[in-house]
Amino acid sequence: MKPSKFEYNAPTSLQEAVEILENNEEAKALAGGQSLIPMMNFRLAQPGALVDLNNIPGLDYIREEDGSLVIGGLTRIREVETSELVRAKCPILSEATGFIGHLPNRNRGTVGGSVAHADPSAELPTVLTALDAQIRTFGASGEKSFQPQEFFLSYLTTPLESSDLVTEIRVPLPATHAKGAFMEISRRRGDFAIVAVAVLLEIDENNVCTNARISLGGVSDTPLRVEEAEELLEGETLTEELLRKASAFSAEIADPESDYHATAEYRRNMAQVYTLRTLKKALGMEEEGSK
Amino acid sequence: MDINGKYTFNAQPEQVWGVMLNPENLRDALPGCDRLAEQAPGQYEAVMKIGIAAVKGTYKGKVEIADAEEPVHYTLRGEGSGAPGFMKGSAVIELQKSDTGTDVVYKGTMEVGGLVAGVGQRMISGVVKMMLKQFFQNMSKKMPQQTN
Repeated sequence: MKPSKFEYNAPTSLQEAVEILENNEEAKALAGGQSLIPMMNFRLAQPGALVDLNNIPGLDYIREEDGSLVIGGLTRIREVETSELVRAKCPILSEATGFIGHLPNRNRGTVGGSVAHADPSAELPTVLTALDAQIRTFGASGEKSFQPQEFFLSYLTTPLESSDLVTEIRVPLPATHAKGAFMEISRRRGDFAIVAVAVLLEIDENNVCTNARISLGGVSDTPLRVEEAEELLEGETLTEELLRKASAFSAEIADPESDYHATAEYRRNMAQVYTLRTLKKALGMEEEGSK
Repeated sequence: MDINGKYTFNAQPEQVWGVMLNPENLRDALPGCDRLAEQAPGQYEAVMKIGIAAVKGTYKGKVEIADAEEPVHYTLRGEGSGAPGFMKGSAVIELQKSDTGTDVVYKGTMEVGGLVAGVGQRMISGVVKMMLKQFFQNMSKKMPQQTN
């Protein structure tokens, strides 16, 4: 199918992009286009104008700054996936990006675009929620910044105003000895996650868990942190039994919808199963009966 | 899909009935409702813009209020179609007097078809819940303020 008619703008600066977006209510920002263009081709979205951000220099970068990994909004997912720096300093982020769509999607799709799209089943919102990353934006009312819980409000819904663009993500670097893992279940590789889990654990020299983060995707209208599970694990030595108890909280907090890929009951069950698997994977524990 | 729930208004059943079945209030309270014009008693032509973020569509259709027994219950039926697909639903709505005012209990089903159902399936129930929440919040602003 073809999109309906639209005006095309190709600004070469952030300021210019913001001005066009501010002055035209019909305008929508175009980054990687991996979510927007298919919707336009189906005519599910019919913006009257596109503001192509791809000619704006200086928005794609990955660097370490003051204990954080700083990633520009226009950085391609593939860059994050293959970055040695990300792999070394925040491996759970590398791992999560590998699950995003297929390679061509990752070549074009951007970090800022995925975050702004705010799909609760998407990998980046889920993993950034576990990492408690800061989301920075720029628009007609200037610079703003948000933590994930303030940003991911509901399906495709964020506090972004019409001219706001996601310009940067700041990920506080996990401790060097932190253990993490990301897993998801989907019908086929590359499909949307039925359930996704991101886990980050800090274990001290006495084998006690000092920090636990568990984030679920696909079980609600935003990614969810399983706070009760986190509290259960913190301050304890992590045994298999304790991990099982913690995983049960994922089923309790999940509030998924049914669709023809999976029922709500199945998603709730998978939230629990995959929380346990992801915790064990992060800790390098053997999983019986699975490959 | 099933749509069931309850919303409590801080007002008496007769007042809630009056407010909820007033076509102007319905048009104001229904999220995205551009037009709700009475064609015959209890039958309305509707135009609604429904969607979230960039995914929006205009749906044209009919809304019908039937089997009305004031101020206890009524059946609401609606159907609409647009470029993104079609929707059709009905619900039985009961007003029950409670200690804090009136409980509006709704029980219904909805069918969504076409493109939006195929591509956006996993978000539909969520979006419907959001719209219902907005609808009831908008309606509660129209309820008469209770004085002691």
